[in-house]
Amino acid sequence: MKKRVISMLLAGVMALSLCACGGAAAEAPAPAPEAPVAEEAPAEEEKAEEPAAEEPAAEEASSGEAMTLNMWCIATESDSNRHSYEAAIEEMATNHPEITLNWEAFENESYKTKIKAAVSADELPDIFFTWSCAFLGDFVSAGKVYCLDDVYQNYKDELPVVMLGNSTYDGKHYGVPLTMNIVGLFANMDLLKEAGYDEIPGTYEDFIKCCDDLKAKGIIPFGCAGKETWCVTEYLESIIEKSVGAEELNNIFVNGATWNNQGVADAVDTFQEMITKEYFDPAGIGLTNDEVKANFMAGKYAFYMNGTWNCADFAANDEFKDKVKVAEFPVIDSSKSKLGQLIGGPSDTLAVSASSPNAAAAADYAMELGKLICHYGYLDGCGLPAWTPYGDTSAVNPLTQTVSEIVANADSMVLFGDTAMTADDAQVYLSYVDQVYGSAIDGAGFIEGLASDLR
Amino acid sequence: MAENNTNQSVKKEKSKADFRKGLNIFLFLLPAILLFVGILIAPIAVSLYRSLQKWNGFTPGTFIGFKNYVDLFTSGSIKFTTSLKNALIIAFFSVFVQLPFSLLLALLLGRKYKGERFFLTVYFMPVLISTVVIGQLWLKIYNPDYGILNRALDAIGRGDWKHIWVGDPKTALGSVVVPTIWQYVGYHMLLMYAGVKGVSSDLREAAMLDGATNWQVDRYVVIPCIKPIIRTSVIFAVTGSLKTYDLVRIITNAGPTHKTEVPSTLLEDMLFLRNRYGMGSTISVMLIILCFAFALAISAAFKEKEY
Repeated sequence: MKKRVISMLLAGVMALSLCACGGAAAEAPAPAPEAPVAEEAPAEEEKAEEPAAEEPAAEEASSGEAMTLNMWCIATESDSNRHSYEAAIEEMATNHPEITLNWEAFENESYKTKIKAAVSADELPDIFFTWSCAFLGDFVSAGKVYCLDDVYQNYKDELPVVMLGNSTYDGKHYGVPLTMNIVGLFANMDLLKEAGYDEIPGTYEDFIKCCDDLKAKGIIPFGCAGKETWCVTEYLESIIEKSVGAEELNNIFVNGATWNNQGVADAVDTFQEMITKEYFDPAGIGLTNDEVKANFMAGKYAFYMNGTWNCADFAANDEFKDKVKVAEFPVIDSSKSKLGQLIGGPSDTLAVSASSPNAAAAADYAMELGKLICHYGYLDGCGLPAWTPYGDTSAVNPLTQTVSEIVANADSMVLFGDTAMTADDAQVYLSYVDQVYGSAIDGAGFIEGLASDLR
Repeated sequence: MAENNTNQSVKKEKSKADFRKGLNIFLFLLPAILLFVGILIAPIAVSLYRSLQKWNGFTPGTFIGFKNYVDLFTSGSIKFTTSLKNALIIAFFSVFVQLPFSLLLALLLGRKYKGERFFLTVYFMPVLISTVVIGQLWLKIYNPDYGILNRALDAIGRGDWKHIWVGDPKTALGSVVVPTIWQYVGYHMLLMYAGVKGVSSDLREAAMLDGATNWQVDRYVVIPCIKPIIRTSVIFAVTGSLKTYDLVRIITNAGPTHKTEVPSTLLEDMLFLRNRYGMGSTISVMLIILCFAFALAISAAFKEKEY
């Protein structure tokens, strides 16, 4: 009997402890919104307590008083855009003291995983960074993104509708574009001078000769991070575009044209010929983009092809800023392509979660924040403005000004392949690009593989 | 009649007592059962259900039967067979290199040499270090420019052996296998060391009195005694290799050209990069089946030799 009583008591205690655990979490008093300042959420553990703040925030929003918004982005400490986010958020805190913004920044690649998991679990923050086109399109088609058509009416004079093209689905706008970027050919002019060049060669023949001359001087022409395949696409897509033309490449990326295109195969072979000729640092295949970029800035490579968001970092480095220039990759086949055909476009975007309790207010906030990030990003040299520039922009660094000139003379732009395609197609495409860089397949293998696996 | 009534009441009392006893047992087990079902069985069941669907994770899935399982082995863009082959290569090295080395260390330390505690701590230390730190550490060792490996090869005059260790398709998998073995040698050593220490000193002494050398004692006395622990280590090594993820992601990011792809990295890519949650669930179900199958096969293999 005694044993039975003890056992029943123990079972009761265990059951109570389970109930108590559940009850405590549900009944935990929500922390009241503190001073209306923007603050970066410092740690993942603290974030676990955040959902409790949603309920009062919703109530406060309806009464037009203080509210808390959460935002995720990729402007980490080492990201070129970090300063523009900080400056924009600080200005927003001054302009909107009633809104507290909790923001967190995540590393680019892991963010892709995190944001998709959040979409699946319906746990998106109020405002989130995303890439436009297919990446955002998947979320839109799932009904997880708030439509910005209404709020856009208040900003249409400052944000040209043409900039919304990549985040428009079925005629509705879902994204706030930030800066726009293209792939730029960055050159270390000190190294080029050693090989006898005062400018970046403008024709493909001169460019190849320049690479040979650099090699003869013991200078590695290119660095490319094989560990992050998107970096390889910056080279490959530029070479394909300047071989087959922007229209043909865009048709393949976006309009469903077949990959079985001899021009593409030849362009891939051209790229691999450059690898075979040892124009590329062989160590690059095992390096990350940060490592390759650091090598370029340290003078290991003469050229570095990557997004023009790098202008900010290059211009901010006192030792390096006077050595670097940016240009467009030269035309390979002038019968199909021409200068002014670029890879890039507005892709960096802010979006608002459809499940946000303060979706309308978050949309307005995202618009204004996006405008400011764009403004400061342009001043910092992180890219070109998707919004109409305002204020004094004379301090924009010379690299970004050169990029502005290139874009001003642009004939057409093809969005980055892995952004333009659906998530599944993009990964298959990147897998083939990886195999090209690793010389596991040639041009014919590339087009045949993609033609059979993607369409 | 009265006897019958008494018998019936005794039976009733007994069945009541049995019921109460059963209820007590059930109540005690209930929290554990709930946890077991909620944390283990339910997710497996959901994965199994999702593996039969075409599902992007955002919109409702479509039932497609076993198509995902067929695609897993036939689609050229999925690379599951490559990933499985790589995991089995890692398992092979874990079982035939890592475990013998762990056993050797355990047997040596079990002989009560001087500094036994010190060496035990040193060998076990990699297990305590975060895998991310280990991955970064080995990345620095492998770095083609300043890595100690290439520098050492230069120093001994074998510059021709230098490699881009994590970028060369020929050496990439090896560059993952070495840290994996290094990290878990201490773990298996500790398991086996506990077994070695548990072997009765009487048995050792009896063998020594019969003229057996240290190695003969280990071979014919200690190792047979710790066979159940060796079996456990083999199961851990094989299932751990099938599930390996962190070091691969950090050191090679499953590249170059999928040469170091393993099922777990593929699973993550399917779920979060390709939005193919149905296929990701299929891979997770396959992993569960493979881990179970290998665990049963290893247990059976060891059982045959037990008398």
